[in-house]
Amino acid sequence: MNGSALLEGRGVLKRFGGLCAVDKVDFQVNEGEIVGLIGPNGSGKTTLFNCITGVHEVDGGEILFKGEDITDDQPYQIARRGLARTFQVIRVYRDLTVEENLLLSRQWGEVPTIRSFTRADRSLHDKAAEIADFLLLGHHLYDKAGILSGGQRRLLELGMTLMPDPDLILLDEATSGINPTLIETIKDRIREMNGRGLTLMLVEHDIRFISDLCDRVIVLNYGKKMADGTPDEIKSDEAVLEAYFGDDGGSDDA
Amino acid sequence: MSRHLILDNPAVRRAGLLLTGMAVVVLAIMPIFVVERGQEGFVTNSLLFSFTQMFMMIAMASSWNLTGGFTGYVDFGHAVWFGIGAYGTGVFMTKVGLSFPVATAGGVVVAVLAALLIGSATLRLRGPYFSIAMLATFVAMREIIRIAKPLTDGGEGMTLPPYLNRPLFFYVTLILAVLVVTMTWWLRRTQFGSTLIAIREDEVGADMRGIDTTLHKITVFAISAAITGLVGGLWAYQNTFIDPDIVFVERRTLDIIIATILGGLGTVAGPVIGSVAFYWLRDLMWSHFLHYHLIVTGVLLITLVMWVPEGIVGSLSDRSGATPLGRLLHRDRGARPTTSPADDSDSDDTRGGES
Amino acid sequence: MNQLLQALINGVMLGGFYAIMVLGFSIIWGVMGVINLAHGEIVMMGAYGAWILQENLGMDPIFSVVIIFPVMMVFGYVVQRVLINRVIERPHMIALLVTFGLSIVISNVVKLRYSGTPRSVEGSMRGYWDLGSVTVPKTKTAILVAALIVMFVLHLFLKHSRLGKSIRAASQNREAARIVGIEIGRVYAITFAIAIGLTALAGAMIAPTQAVYPFMGGPLTLRAFTITALSGLGSIPGALFGGLAVGVIEVMLATFVPRVGTNVGIVSSFVLLVIVLVVRPQGLFGGLKPRSPQ
Repeated sequence: MNGSALLEGRGVLKRFGGLCAVDKVDFQVNEGEIVGLIGPNGSGKTTLFNCITGVHEVDGGEILFKGEDITDDQPYQIARRGLARTFQVIRVYRDLTVEENLLLSRQWGEVPTIRSFTRADRSLHDKAAEIADFLLLGHHLYDKAGILSGGQRRLLELGMTLMPDPDLILLDEATSGINPTLIETIKDRIREMNGRGLTLMLVEHDIRFISDLCDRVIVLNYGKKMADGTPDEIKSDEAVLEAYFGDDGGSDDA
Repeated sequence: MSRHLILDNPAVRRAGLLLTGMAVVVLAIMPIFVVERGQEGFVTNSLLFSFTQMFMMIAMASSWNLTGGFTGYVDFGHAVWFGIGAYGTGVFMTKVGLSFPVATAGGVVVAVLAALLIGSATLRLRGPYFSIAMLATFVAMREIIRIAKPLTDGGEGMTLPPYLNRPLFFYVTLILAVLVVTMTWWLRRTQFGSTLIAIREDEVGADMRGIDTTLHKITVFAISAAITGLVGGLWAYQNTFIDPDIVFVERRTLDIIIATILGGLGTVAGPVIGSVAFYWLRDLMWSHFLHYHLIVTGVLLITLVMWVPEGIVGSLSDRSGATPLGRLLHRDRGARPTTSPADDSDSDDTRGGES
Repeated sequence: MNQLLQALINGVMLGGFYAIMVLGFSIIWGVMGVINLAHGEIVMMGAYGAWILQENLGMDPIFSVVIIFPVMMVFGYVVQRVLINRVIERPHMIALLVTFGLSIVISNVVKLRYSGTPRSVEGSMRGYWDLGSVTVPKTKTAILVAALIVMFVLHLFLKHSRLGKSIRAASQNREAARIVGIEIGRVYAITFAIAIGLTALAGAMIAPTQAVYPFMGGPLTLRAFTITALSGLGSIPGALFGGLAVGVIEVMLATFVPRVGTNVGIVSSFVLLVIVLVVRPQGLFGGLKPRSPQ
């Protein structure tokens, strides 16, 4: 199941003013894994995602993807290497149709050539339709994303990460604000995608979601990595329980 | 949630397209019936001239809409490309002695080069910073033209070889307007077009999905400058005289912006409908209330922006891709441009806009 | 050497004018996040106010500010309530276009009423102090001194008065200010009124030093933007040093770069602006912090 390291962070450091949001974190995501990233609010999960995807410039350390250093790449360059992500706050394009949204997220394959001034290939349209079906959005293919429900937008975002055939997908709170039925759908789809060989890294608040899906869980607290292991190991780790559930007795709300 | 408004009806849209087509045909045969000064008849040379100006406005508004409406970069100094195109044409004709078509092509090339250069600086800025940097570019360019006297004859202006042929300018600008509108229509449907919309809606997100946003912004900026530069060249030749104060007029940018917003920012039909409506409205104001016309224009702008930001097309349709101004640069209240002092820790926009 | 010293003096004098002229713009931008493109037109209205009062009542511009300041404050209050207050919470572009429209309306109404003819206003302080090799214009010195006084008073007001504290609170965090019971709408309206009053006051004071005409505002707005972006939003020392810097740079360039004359002013402002925006976006001085991202 576990192959070699696909994504690796060494001593990743990100400061905001005096605050260390990500404090020299080492981590590794192996090929074929589903890795969960958890931690209390403000522990640096999304910031770490932002460092990986180039939104934030890191203040120290290095990030390797497929063995290559991507620390100083621009966000679009990182995406083109095959690392896609979703966002905590949904970022679909409301004025574009579902199909356009999907096509958009792999357009870089054809930009900057003259071909971006044409419509996408038939094969891409077929692929967009296929992904929309896979995510139960087939009947909305030509509707503007603005009319979709919150849950459907989450699914669309997931679809947008699938379009460019990435090697690794980072999912940032894929279940927040979603009804339980859709959460099961998303879970199913993630398993299926993983079954096809896709590697995933998830930031999640829903512990059950994490323990159902993940092979391995990384726990952040105050920007530091405090644990790294299988969901069972993490569940029985005293320090994690203390940090994570310590003051509010096990609630897993956002 | 989807509203169903009159323009959402495909039959209405088809009828509109058909009417537009018929209007173009009628316009195309109109110059045949032109009458000489003093003769009886509806189609006068001055009517042809008016239409020529209207076609120019349509072409410029459509090109402004590419950056301002589709991409969300509201350019307050767009007439700078008009000016560069006009001066490029003028200099190439009078100083170099090129023929008009070659000189105009030269003017367009100069406008594109200037757009690449200026855009690579100003397009790093967002929102109001970009708008005002472009306004400043415009004002600065007027002074640069004035200063570059050996080349441009400075404030004295330059006279181009006169060529009075109203029907010719009429046809050239008509064809240009049709081509430009067709191009924006096509562009909106291509991947390039949807990328522009994506940049408008969420530039950082587009960046993280692998889109080289800088390249797209600069490309569309250059396309827009080329069209407006071409219009400037045509205008210079038609007017036969150019000087900094009649070429670099703030009002020209203002007209384009108002026409586009009036019609519907970010739509293909908007700049066309808006230009037609605004051009004749302005004409009417000129002939009846010459002294008030700018005041009325200003009031119109305020009224539109505050109470009808979707414009004509946007108010009548939900599927048009219109950008209610209210949503343009929707990150706004949160994210200031890259340049913002407020960019703190968890703003996702900290790195946007960099090249 | 004398030429350099003279240029420096002239630059500082021009800078004094810019400093007082930019304050209102900087406050409005810093506190409510609105870039007021009608700023130069407000300066122009103040200058016209000085001219009208002089023509009709023979009033000296120095004293006419006593009338112009409150009148323009009322004007500012009304404009804020009718227009600006409705656009504050909407995207920047709306406010930009609305104030742009306002600038066109104001300048053309003034032109319609008083024609486009440039007017001149006579100040009571005329002439120069001759310091041997260099001369110091009296009016401009008065403007510089007045700028310093106004800034000092404004500083005290913002720092120590209840209203001033509310304004600072509102500029830093609208929601939090609302929670602690500050009535934001009223604070904004008063801030806007004060800023407009100050701007018109600056216009009245500079009226004797330059031609007064309906379209004098445009370049002033651009300079206000440059200086504010340079020095940080709502920062009083920023406005002073930014104004001085831009004034000195403009005069130096006009003096020592051949053939370009005063036209270069606006070009240099622009170049400065782009450099500052790209290189040091947060301005050179801190100042009021605009509302942070939600």
